[in-house]
Amino acid sequence: MGVTKEDVEDALNDSLKPSHLEVIDTSGGCGASFDVEIVSENFEGKRLLERHRLVNAALSAQMPHIHALSIKKVLTPSQWKPLEKA
Amino acid sequence: MASAVQLMGFNSSHLRCHYSSFRRHPKTIPHPLALSSSSHEATYLRCFLPSTRRRRKVIGRSVSFRSPFLPTTAVLKLDEAKLVSIPSGSDRVEDRFPHGAGVYGVYDKAGELQFIGISRNVAASIAAHSKALPDLCCSVKVGLLEGDNSDKTVLTDAWKSWLEEHITLTGKIPPGNQNGNSPWVRRPQRKPDLRLTPGRHVQLTVPLEELIDLLVKENEVVAFIKGSRSAPQCGFSQRVVGILESLRVDFECVDVLDEEHNFGLRETLKRYSNWPTFPQVFVRGELIGGCDIISSMAEKGELVALFRK
Repeated sequence: MGVTKEDVEDALNDSLKPSHLEVIDTSGGCGASFDVEIVSENFEGKRLLERHRLVNAALSAQMPHIHALSIKKVLTPSQWKPLEKA
Repeated sequence: MASAVQLMGFNSSHLRCHYSSFRRHPKTIPHPLALSSSSHEATYLRCFLPSTRRRRKVIGRSVSFRSPFLPTTAVLKLDEAKLVSIPSGSDRVEDRFPHGAGVYGVYDKAGELQFIGISRNVAASIAAHSKALPDLCCSVKVGLLEGDNSDKTVLTDAWKSWLEEHITLTGKIPPGNQNGNSPWVRRPQRKPDLRLTPGRHVQLTVPLEELIDLLVKENEVVAFIKGSRSAPQCGFSQRVVGILESLRVDFECVDVLDEEHNFGLRETLKRYSNWPTFPQVFVRGELIGGCDIISSMAEKGELVALFRK
């Protein structure tokens, strides 16, 4: 049983309350590989490593079935604003 | 030939390198060369002429009538070598300079001698210098050694005599040759990967965790990757190695797939760092992250700041 894009989104929405979330299934449908962009206030004041840890923790249930998770962006809302406009 | 040479005070190594020019120009007679003060081995240098670089003429001092640039002593002196400007772009540098062994001096824009080096491939070394330190590399003088005379003592002697000549003239050591000036003398070859144990058969006396702990704390930057530094086995590891190398970071590499020397490292390291994947990059004992984190820090310039501390 593969993990769907929705599973990943749900898990991240539940635990991190992101203001922006983009999950891209890069596996071609089998649910093994995802790219993630996530913006959340929870990341405020945290180093990149800690932010990645939060994302990994949020997906701990799905992780065993995911082959590759590439976290492209983990930003705070203030970091995201200038990028969003661009 | 041999006896003639002995009569003239040559030792066998002189014979070997002079013999070829003697045969090619039988009318000229090789004679003992004035040894520079630092050099007890005569060093035969060819004057480097950009216009004749394709032919790579072998010119002994005994045939000096062929060109006004030719050396008149055993070692082509620093002030006799022609100053050639370094073109931009490493391809053009490699094309412009000879690929043989020799001594070279690099000058900056103001014409100050920055560094005297020796190399078995002068062109490659100059290309590397101008890439690493473009601001300090404006022009260069090259003294090439005879093809079969590129052993280390000869090279070193050539280097010594150029350095001495410069010091005698100016009273200064070129900045790049002063102690601890690593950007000029960074070893071109890659460091070997670190191994945690001598082999699988050896019983460890300390837990693997402690070894990892020691390793990451005693080395400024450590990358745990899949595969070796020179041949990473995974795209993410390769990207991390590429980023670290492009930033010229002096880092240690550990291959987590090496079951012989790093047995059990993957599981232990995941526990130690509480991080599920490889590669893992540690800086001053602290996990910085994997490929995603390193890439995004590199993009934002945060990585440079981190290593500069």
